[in-house]
Amino acid sequence: MSRLRLLAVVVLVLVVQTAVLARLRIAGVAPDAMLLIAVCAGIVGGPERGAVTGFVSGIAFDLFLVTTPVGLSALVYALIGYGVGLVAEGTVRSAWWIPVLTAGAASAAGSVAFAVSANVIAGADFVGPRLAVVVPVVGVTNAILAPLALRLVAWTIGSERKTALAP
Amino acid sequence: MAVYRRPARQRFVLLIVTLLAVTVVTLDQRGQASGVVDRIRDGASDVLAPVQSAVSSVLSPVGDFFGGIARYDDVKAENARLRRQLEEQKGLVDRAADLEREHKELLDLDGLTFVGDIPSVTARVVSTSPSNFEFSVVIDKGTSDGVAKGMPVVAGEGLVGRVSEVSRERATILLLTDTDSRVGVKLSASGDVGVARGRGSRQPLAVDLVDPGTKAAKGEIAVTSGLQGSVFPPGVPVGKVELARTTPGALQATVRITPVVDLRRLTFVRVLQWNP
Repeated sequence: MSRLRLLAVVVLVLVVQTAVLARLRIAGVAPDAMLLIAVCAGIVGGPERGAVTGFVSGIAFDLFLVTTPVGLSALVYALIGYGVGLVAEGTVRSAWWIPVLTAGAASAAGSVAFAVSANVIAGADFVGPRLAVVVPVVGVTNAILAPLALRLVAWTIGSERKTALAP
Repeated sequence: MAVYRRPARQRFVLLIVTLLAVTVVTLDQRGQASGVVDRIRDGASDVLAPVQSAVSSVLSPVGDFFGGIARYDDVKAENARLRRQLEEQKGLVDRAADLEREHKELLDLDGLTFVGDIPSVTARVVSTSPSNFEFSVVIDKGTSDGVAKGMPVVAGEGLVGRVSEVSRERATILLLTDTDSRVGVKLSASGDVGVARGRGSRQPLAVDLVDPGTKAAKGEIAVTSGLQGSVFPPGVPVGKVELARTTPGALQATVRITPVVDLRRLTFVRVLQWNP
């Protein structure tokens, strides 16, 4: 994996997340592109690349958050990226919708994991009725963005492993 | 029988990134790396600011278009509400002048500082929080314009929040609705004091510690209390009482207030250069 490509993609996605996606809110909830690239790295590149991409994208995202400690998104995204990589390793990627569905489900799980970790580690009040809105919206919007993200991450990784959507 | 063993390198990478992340979280939580983290955060904010502004100005019509579709029901409801309000406003103009005079008299009686006398910096909101869990906006003014951490921020109608992070060119404002936000408030008519706590976007603020015997009524305005040690100057409108009731046996009244400022549609704000 090219480190420069990874950095370039993380910065690009960070700019898109803060300047564009943060405006595209449904019921006050925006897609989480930083989590999505960690998930896609796990799908395309396996556990190791999922963890590294998740750590880098998470730490970049943390620099723009003010109520949670720096490193929290990095921890959660790295673990999610690794976990998705483990699941993807054992999945037969013959249908186009399998990585899309995986990206949506993993993004929803990542949102829950972040809220719970922030609650436990930083005492943030993120586990509440709002979480029931955040989880499905992030899951669906990230699944919609997944085909694009999978191609972007496949280019970053210079993937030897292929998916139906990241040939 | 062959047993599959996960490559040691995968486990090693996971261990390293987990340890790194936990170390950064711990140092940041304990404040031991706050200087370094703040410098990196400020640098990242300043470096990305021009790019964000350029991308935002180019792509904002696209974002607004899709945002408008997503909020179609809101826009329709708002249109109906505005029509009703326009009619109500005609009769309220005279009453507003009366209330303004009364409000000023109350402020004078309490010896409260008039917010307009506090030096301020006008700023444009350039982006909202990228997170789904925190509610903040970024403005185009920073330390180079005299903005400092902790300063109160207002819009035309009342309080917006406070400065929670500041770099040379940018500042992040933690909105009243954020779950980390706490504001000391005083209910203008009943005189009760309490602490308004954010509960997330689209949710009214909860006012804690209000006496169970409160006479607070719907529509009453809550202003910043400005009690000793408060980070906000006194008398800044915060919200309007939406719900006030006392459950028998409860230690405090249940009071909910709706922010007077529409925090989802901020364009310009004023940072008050006010020190407690």
